[in-house]
Amino acid sequence: MEYIVQTQNLSKCFGKEQAVSNINLQIRKGEIYGFLGPNGAGKTTTIRMLLGLMKPSSGTIKIFQKDIMKERIQILANVGSLVENPSYYPHLTAYENLEALRKILGVPKARIDEVLQIVRLKEAANKKVKGFSLGMKQRLGIAAALLHNPELLILDEPTNGLDPSGIIEIRNLIKRLPKEYGMTIIISSHLLSEIDQMATQVGIVSKGTLIFQDSIEEMRKFAQPKVTFKVSNSEKGWRSLLANGIKADYHDGVIFLEECSDEKVAHIVQVLVQEGISVFRVEEEKRSLEEIFLQMTAGELTI
Amino acid sequence: MMGKLLTADFLKIKRKGLWFLTLLGPIGVVALQMVNYGVRKDYLLQQSDDDWGYFLLNIHSFTPLAIVLGIAILTSFMASIENETNAWKQLIALPVSKLSVYLSKFTVLAILLFLSSTLLMIFTLSYGLFLNLGEPVPYLELAKFSYFPALAALPILALQLWIASVCHNQGIPITVGIFGVIFAYSSYVLPDWMIWKWPSLMNQWDEPIINVMLGVGIGILLYIVGMIDFARRDVK
Repeated sequence: MEYIVQTQNLSKCFGKEQAVSNINLQIRKGEIYGFLGPNGAGKTTTIRMLLGLMKPSSGTIKIFQKDIMKERIQILANVGSLVENPSYYPHLTAYENLEALRKILGVPKARIDEVLQIVRLKEAANKKVKGFSLGMKQRLGIAAALLHNPELLILDEPTNGLDPSGIIEIRNLIKRLPKEYGMTIIISSHLLSEIDQMATQVGIVSKGTLIFQDSIEEMRKFAQPKVTFKVSNSEKGWRSLLANGIKADYHDGVIFLEECSDEKVAHIVQVLVQEGISVFRVEEEKRSLEEIFLQMTAGELTI
Repeated sequence: MMGKLLTADFLKIKRKGLWFLTLLGPIGVVALQMVNYGVRKDYLLQQSDDDWGYFLLNIHSFTPLAIVLGIAILTSFMASIENETNAWKQLIALPVSKLSVYLSKFTVLAILLFLSSTLLMIFTLSYGLFLNLGEPVPYLELAKFSYFPALAALPILALQLWIASVCHNQGIPITVGIFGVIFAYSSYVLPDWMIWKWPSLMNQWDEPIINVMLGVGIGILLYIVGMIDFARRDVK
């Protein structure tokens, strides 16, 4: 399988601080690759290296099978990007902003109207960007990234600072692109719920290292359900379960077990009832992806 | 690629006041002499037998100051267009080389500077003719006094652009610019090697052409150093 983006032991140091270490990304054509990680994990640094804005301290980056250090300009001709906060020229109108980029990219003028249509900014085309809302600026940034119909679209936190309707709008737009235009998309976020609703592949970075990279389905498999028992005397119940050789956990007045078959649940209820304990509720709790994400990046948590 | 970048850069300086400043500089310099000659024309004409030469010297007494000040403001404006929303990252993620991005900025500024010089020449000639300073009109001297200071100021342009495009804090290039203006103001007492003295066209050999050659030579050198440093840096 050919990879659109492939990095090998990609590392970047700022002085003594290791911002990114040995990241091996593998992104196939037509994927929406969710690049996840807490703030400061090294997502933006990685993306800047992918775009040739920063030079890696070590390791290689291949995009479209070409080395970014050697063939940067040819690669970038097919890459659209939106890095962090949108960049724009506030004293120019939306149309002029795109025109300034269009001149450099050398695409036909009609393309400006097309991309303005795609991000629904047509009405505001002749207004100065100074007066735009953050959502409109963000959409203008996406329009700029789409201008030359790139094969690879790199979006760094594209929904940052948007209101819910803006987020939904951008999400729908992003989901549409691979189907309609055959684009491959890398989208970074610190919000798993965002990625969960768009991505087909997920890469998780924490403290500069890639700790998970697979399809979103694989990640969901980590979401093992746990079964909780609410009973009349939970501490006594827990002890009697342990006495019967059932490994249960006890926390905050609730008994819970991870990975529980139906037979096992039946057995537990039987044991509890025999001990004279009333069983109020037996519930299955699905762990959300958020929890898995937090668990994976646990080292980051200080609060 | 350069042509595309240049047209894009000219589009970006729209409504930023750069064209206005380009016009304002030469107008200001000539306007000062309009006041000077308007108030005491008879006295000034008595000062020298060569009325045109004396007039050009008077014009030239403010040209270096206007150029150094103008360069500081223009470069800072130019860099601020990209710095304001950190559009450098968007610009450099386009399929262009960093060297040509820098060259394009430098070229736009150089074009504005020479446009300003040309306007200075036109305004000087017009006011000189209006004053009726007599025949023949020293066209060669006029061209020298208009273009030489700008050529001698190229190192300042290269230095200011370098500082303005690598410093995110625009206070730094502005400070350097203010010091430049102070230096240019006190050219008489500066040693010959100070680049801020060169637009005054003064040197110990009394040969303005030396300043021009130094200006172009060191200007190119400083430009190359700035460009390499710009290309070497990571874009934040």
